[in-house]
Amino acid sequence: MNQIVIAPLLVAVVAVVATLALGRRPALQRATSVAGAIVYAASVALLAWRVVLAPDAGPATYQSGGWPAPFGITLVADALSAFMLVLAATVGLWSVAVAVRVLDRENQRVFYHPLFHCMLLGVTGAFLTGDLFNLFVWFEVMLMASYVFVAFYGGAKHTAGAFRYLVPNVVGSAVMLLGIGGLYATVGTLNMADMARRLADPAAYGIDVAPVVGLSAFVLATFALKAGLVPFQFWVPSAYRAAPLPAAAMLAGVTKKVGIYAVIRLYFTVFAAAGLDGATLPGTGVGITGDSPLAFLGPVLLAMAVASIAVGGVGAVGRETVDELLAYSSIGQVGFIALPVALAASAPSGAVRRAAVAAALVYALHHALAKGLLFLSTATVRGATGTTRLSELGGLGQRSPVLSAAFLVGSLSLVGIPPLAGFFGKFLVFEVAARHFATVPTAAAAVPLAAALVGAVLTIVYITRTWIGGFWGTQTPQVGQATVDPVQVGLLAALAAVILAAGVAFDPVYRFATAAAEAALDRGAYVDLVDPAPGTTLLAAGTGAGGALGSSGGAARPDRAGERGAGTENGNRPADGGEGT
Amino acid sequence: MDRGPELEADSERRPNREVGAGVSLVLAAAVGGLFALATFLLLRRDLMRVVWGIAVVTQGANVYLLAMGGVVEGDHESVPVLVTHGGEVPVTADPVVQALVLTAIVISFGTTALALALTYRAYEENETMDIQQWE
Repeated sequence: MNQIVIAPLLVAVVAVVATLALGRRPALQRATSVAGAIVYAASVALLAWRVVLAPDAGPATYQSGGWPAPFGITLVADALSAFMLVLAATVGLWSVAVAVRVLDRENQRVFYHPLFHCMLLGVTGAFLTGDLFNLFVWFEVMLMASYVFVAFYGGAKHTAGAFRYLVPNVVGSAVMLLGIGGLYATVGTLNMADMARRLADPAAYGIDVAPVVGLSAFVLATFALKAGLVPFQFWVPSAYRAAPLPAAAMLAGVTKKVGIYAVIRLYFTVFAAAGLDGATLPGTGVGITGDSPLAFLGPVLLAMAVASIAVGGVGAVGRETVDELLAYSSIGQVGFIALPVALAASAPSGAVRRAAVAAALVYALHHALAKGLLFLSTATVRGATGTTRLSELGGLGQRSPVLSAAFLVGSLSLVGIPPLAGFFGKFLVFEVAARHFATVPTAAAAVPLAAALVGAVLTIVYITRTWIGGFWGTQTPQVGQATVDPVQVGLLAALAAVILAAGVAFDPVYRFATAAAEAALDRGAYVDLVDPAPGTTLLAAGTGAGGALGSSGGAARPDRAGERGAGTENGNRPADGGEGT
Repeated sequence: MDRGPELEADSERRPNREVGAGVSLVLAAAVGGLFALATFLLLRRDLMRVVWGIAVVTQGANVYLLAMGGVVEGDHESVPVLVTHGGEVPVTADPVVQALVLTAIVISFGTTALALALTYRAYEENETMDIQQWE
């Protein structure tokens, strides 16, 4: 039953093809698109059930084309992947449903729906893949769709925003290729599990682990660019303003989290396996006091996170339009997600580390839901009034109380008011930061706590400003003449209810997040899951038949066939190596 | 750089390394040149030059990938199609990175095409190719 792993991917592919084919039947295309998102959410729910929630649950793998790891491309669904997929499916479902109602029908007909499912496909692949180069390919699938979303309306601002988004990301992709190529040359494999195994025992494979720190910095830069962390945040405001608002909900809610996911997966599951024994960073003379590349990740990501919280918060306070304010806010909020990840990297013990990663995941889920709701509410406001400018809005609370209530729930969750999901997100991040300060009570250790505090205050300031400017006061002419679509309002209220439910029934959410953090940190289980056969015996088998080269196993072949022998020794193993289910 | 072949038997490896070192130097120079050119182009004000820059930077990454796989004297294992055809086996790059580069070329093609289309659209909107004259 490991085929369930590829179910979300297949659903997304079919949805892309179907919506593309139905371009001449707009009504049917819209219905297909929504149905595609519903089936996608169902397949993700089934996957999450099989992987985490069911009594006999366990992670699963799918070896594409029947090629066993590390030769083929492995898809891995563990608790971390399942958690991120649930996040993507939830935001995706609401995004497409609101888009159908709020966007101009002619605009939808062109290519909105195929692009949306293409983006979902890229996100899904990135969450599931167990192969480093394949991760790059899924990134590009996701990016290609998001470039077009940013350029969607084709005006001067939109093309400019698309260029500001495209050029850094192309350079980022090139930098990621540098990291991947270097890691392949250093470690000799592209399969993440195989890489973790080799890094854990470098002597047996004749590899030098010191270059891994620098090479991991290459991929970290790209992931930070995707996540929009300072100093790679400059593309965020113009891109989010240019994209259609339901697509911006996806960009802010889901595609940013792909960068965070990739940092967690690669650093904690793969690179952390490398033992460094106090190597020094070349040029700086700074010694790595820890024993793995996590010691490098910790301070670097912490600086990025603190700067993001400051830049995003300060930037959001002075904005004149709601969508721009939300774009800056999402820079700051991603800083809140990166902060516990950075503290997890420098955490002394496994339990602290797990709690910190779980805090990051809970915050990521909360931010995806809350920011998704806020962007979608803004889409409804713009659809009804034709503007998102705070000076032209006012009195929305009187005009449409339910819409305002939904926006308020999203806002309060972002601020962190109990019993909404955001309260637990903020609470856990503060707990991690406070615990960090408690273990090492120095001025430097207080920085994360202070940054989180300042960020929280700034959040309250800009949320209050939006609320007072847009929803209180006397009705402006734009608001007075607005007709608010009740279906959209119903959808937004339902998403607000989800946020409330995630806060009220927080225990299962937290257990899911803890299981995901556990999966991210448990390297041994990940390696055994993907490739149970020990690599050393394969090596000893010497030079096998070269026939493995002629396979159609895909673009990313995770190992040199000549070096590891051919797949013949593995051929008698079942194609799906997962024993977990 | 040539980690992979090191894991094979020592006697087979020695001559290969000689080939690899010479070619690697050429590849290193090519990578450096391409990245330098790409950086220069990306920082231009002319939008068309920027598009050239993103095309060149991905090609630079592709050449780098080839260099990372290592270029060695081929044998019948790395070029299995020549087993039945006999004859000389040429100097060859790692087949894995060839597959990676092939994929990266296709992606770069799509991205560059999109960038060109966007360039035309931006020109229509702004009536200038100078990005500093954008609003």
